[in-house]
Amino acid sequence: MSSRKRSTLNRRDFLKGGTLAGAAFLATLVSRNNPSTLAAGEDVFSTFLPLIMQGTGGGGASAPLEVIALNRMAFGPRPGDIEAFRALGNSDEERLTAYVQQQLDPDSIDDSEFETRYAAAGFQTLHKSLEELFADHIVNNPYDENDEAFWDWYSLPIYELVDATILRAVYSRKQLSEVLADFWFNHFNVYLWQDQGGPLGVSYDRDALRANMFGNFRQMLEAVATHPTMLYYLNQNNSSDAGPNENYARELLELHTLGAENYLGVQDPTTVEKDENGIAIGYVDNDVYEVARCLTGWRVDDDTVDGGNTGRFLYYKPWHDRFNKFVLGRYIPADQPDMKDGHDVLDLLAHHPGTARFIARKLCRRFIADDPPDSIVQAAADTFLAYSDDPEQLKRVYETILLSPEFAHAWGQKIKRPLEATYAMLRALEADFTRVPEALPWVIYLMGQGLFSRRTPDGYPDTIPAWANTMSILYRWNLALALTENWLNEENGPTIHVDVRAQTPADLRTPAGLADFWIARLLGRPLPDVSRQAVVDFIARGEYGPDDELPEEDFDYWLNGMVQVVLMAPEFSLR
Amino acid sequence: MAHTLSRRQFLQGCSAAIAAMAGARLTRYAVSAQSSTADMLVVIFLRGGWDALNVVPPRDGDDRGLYEVARPDIAIPASSLLPLDDRFGLHPALAPLHDLYQDGKMAVVHAVGLDFDTRSHFDAMEYVELGTPGHKGTQSGWITRHLQSTPSGSSGLIPAISTSEQPTSLLGFPANVNMYSPSDISLWDNGLAAEQKQALRQMYASDTPLASVGQRTLDAMQAVQPLVDVDYQPSNGAVYNDDELSQQLKTVAQMIKLDAGLQVAAVDFGGWDTHEYENDGPDGYLADLLGALGDGLANFYLDLDSGYTDRLSIVIMSEFGRRLVQNESSGTDHGHGSVMLALGGGVNGGQVFGQWPGLSNDQLYDHADLAVTTDYRQVLRELIANRLDNPNTDAVFPGFDAPPLGIFQS
Repeated sequence: MSSRKRSTLNRRDFLKGGTLAGAAFLATLVSRNNPSTLAAGEDVFSTFLPLIMQGTGGGGASAPLEVIALNRMAFGPRPGDIEAFRALGNSDEERLTAYVQQQLDPDSIDDSEFETRYAAAGFQTLHKSLEELFADHIVNNPYDENDEAFWDWYSLPIYELVDATILRAVYSRKQLSEVLADFWFNHFNVYLWQDQGGPLGVSYDRDALRANMFGNFRQMLEAVATHPTMLYYLNQNNSSDAGPNENYARELLELHTLGAENYLGVQDPTTVEKDENGIAIGYVDNDVYEVARCLTGWRVDDDTVDGGNTGRFLYYKPWHDRFNKFVLGRYIPADQPDMKDGHDVLDLLAHHPGTARFIARKLCRRFIADDPPDSIVQAAADTFLAYSDDPEQLKRVYETILLSPEFAHAWGQKIKRPLEATYAMLRALEADFTRVPEALPWVIYLMGQGLFSRRTPDGYPDTIPAWANTMSILYRWNLALALTENWLNEENGPTIHVDVRAQTPADLRTPAGLADFWIARLLGRPLPDVSRQAVVDFIARGEYGPDDELPEEDFDYWLNGMVQVVLMAPEFSLR
Repeated sequence: MAHTLSRRQFLQGCSAAIAAMAGARLTRYAVSAQSSTADMLVVIFLRGGWDALNVVPPRDGDDRGLYEVARPDIAIPASSLLPLDDRFGLHPALAPLHDLYQDGKMAVVHAVGLDFDTRSHFDAMEYVELGTPGHKGTQSGWITRHLQSTPSGSSGLIPAISTSEQPTSLLGFPANVNMYSPSDISLWDNGLAAEQKQALRQMYASDTPLASVGQRTLDAMQAVQPLVDVDYQPSNGAVYNDDELSQQLKTVAQMIKLDAGLQVAAVDFGGWDTHEYENDGPDGYLADLLGALGDGLANFYLDLDSGYTDRLSIVIMSEFGRRLVQNESSGTDHGHGSVMLALGGGVNGGQVFGQWPGLSNDQLYDHADLAVTTDYRQVLRELIANRLDNPNTDAVFPGFDAPPLGIFQS
């Protein structure tokens, strides 16, 4: 691999990513928007409370099915969503079935509110084809690469993709689609703030992932394997017979298909146990090398050598290793037709029972629990295999999972990750925006889940231990504050507008009444008694009884504070 | 190789929270970590690939000649180098560190780095910080694996901080706290923070993983509170400049003195990707960066030389060094072998460690760059075993073994 001359001092700034500037910027923003003075010191240990034992996992009792559905196959309810779900049928089963069928057929859903906002957002680059993105933002960048404008223009499609992703997650009624787009992006993770091919991520998200996520896994796998974003990210673009690069090949096996659970380590490939079809039951290191050889010559048509510099995928025969290979116990002969070696590999992997189980388990982990029951994992894997050549294979798999009793009965065995918590707050608060103030992605980043910012190919983790940490929780609380108080907005910049008072019935004036209204509104279910009491006590501020009328003076101030407390409750973070 | 926070660690954190809730002093969290004799570790990562050959150039001999021929516009004159030994000198902008070197508090390791074929920033940083060269799928960083495998545990209140973004070396360590300054660890205050924290104490009073991390977060805020919006007074007349590095080091010093169980601090300092005009004029670009590094570090060391340096280890590293031959823009392109610095009371300072590979064409990596003769993990492995009291170095760097170089006292 040779160094790239186009790197400059300005690239350095790009590499630094402006984290410090961002943190300082946030601090300024918050202090500028903060009218109050510092509170006096308090003794938080003055109140000793006995431990309340809860259930396993994230804990807590069960939740109504509409809460389960809207928090696990959607990013939390918006006002009205719970009622709409309840109106879908006469029993839980009927309602769930109707909701799942509707979500599995996204084209049937009226999404006019989102579409209106998307049109108003005025994105300049998201409609561009792969070739246009490559030509406009990489090859013909009009700015001097020593200027900041060069990197602004280079990154513009990704900045827009960030905004559009947040906009969709919050306003689109095709909620399952958004959950799945997030799932598949993480499954086939790429880091989009990279200096090679970053802007092409718009096409990767749209053309490789979203276009295939209700379709066939084998097709999605090839769309990813031939997409320049992935080819650049995992160094496949440099892989030739003279110097095969195993990076993509290894992740293809370990992360995209068979998974580490089917990795058998360093072993003689000829002695690995085979299944009834004569295919190895798992992979060994030699398979990684052989797959890398099969894929040599799969590159980007850029200015490396030959080609037309279009930015498209290019099969470059001079780099392909023409000799015979041995993959998963299967002999692959020499001198096959163009791309056939690679196609054989993708076929083997996409049809492998190990892949079916790995993908099934990961989807169940997303939709049901950190540790999903084997029964549903096996059922989903069976569907995956039974429909492996079906154009709607993945839709059938989702259906198996989402209509299972395991889905309907699990609760609180997952927490909302930072992005899910962010989307859920924006939805629950009925926030109003089209473009996103830059402070919002920063807070998400501080919580640990910056959009398209996961550097490693494994994608963001999807279990409680990975997210139950100080920064993630503290900035989740701060986000609740900042959104409710409208602190993230910039003068002359985009705004997110939240008005708590306007959404509170005018006749509600008592601590208990306000607490119960907002608890139901934000959580869709009651809080445990101790937590409810904490909310009531907060707004009663030691001066009023639970059923006293609160005075108008400071009413909004305390009401906002109370809504923040409900959003900060651990129950808000459960899924 | 996946490491996740175990149930046991959650329970440890939780029981400490219960103790704190019961009225015990907050510092109880920190007791287990503080009672160990392990050093506190500060890792400073210079992002961009620092030019090792201009930081520690050869002073004499054939290699000096090769160096000057390769870098007609940017070589550091031999006369201005601060001597390290017969072979090498230190860039004059690092004069404050040269004093520490002469005091035996700083050691230099030359021709050290990532022994893997890549000149990509991202790949190299990833591999170095994961600690598993060639394997990007590793789900934890090397510091994380140290904290998870060290016998004294890592269940203090704030066992690790990073002062810019969370680096990959701390990937998968949930207790890490990102703080550029102490005020980052506070609830944004609309005037009701005290009342809100009281409500949170009640709502997060159970023992679920989520609840215990909520308690830990409230405790961390409480612990850091004395540092927020307070003018920090460094010891020994040390002064922290206003630059990015010094401000981060100031935060680290405050956190070390806070006694809240800190074991590791990760600091990033960017800007080292010197592709052009790196030595432009007397106050050249690289000299500026090195000046900030030397001055910041020396003052940090001075500040902590108030009872902390005997149990302090600092390492300075980068993802790679740079090409021997300067480029057409009077800069240098991405290279291979690099330099690491180690500072602290337990360092066998005043020496240049590592086997020097030489600068003749056949001695260079890929006929272009300083070769790597010491794997960076060899340095860290010795540090972890000798100074951090963690014998489980195989858990930190799986499958890697190499004898100690004698940089760190045991």
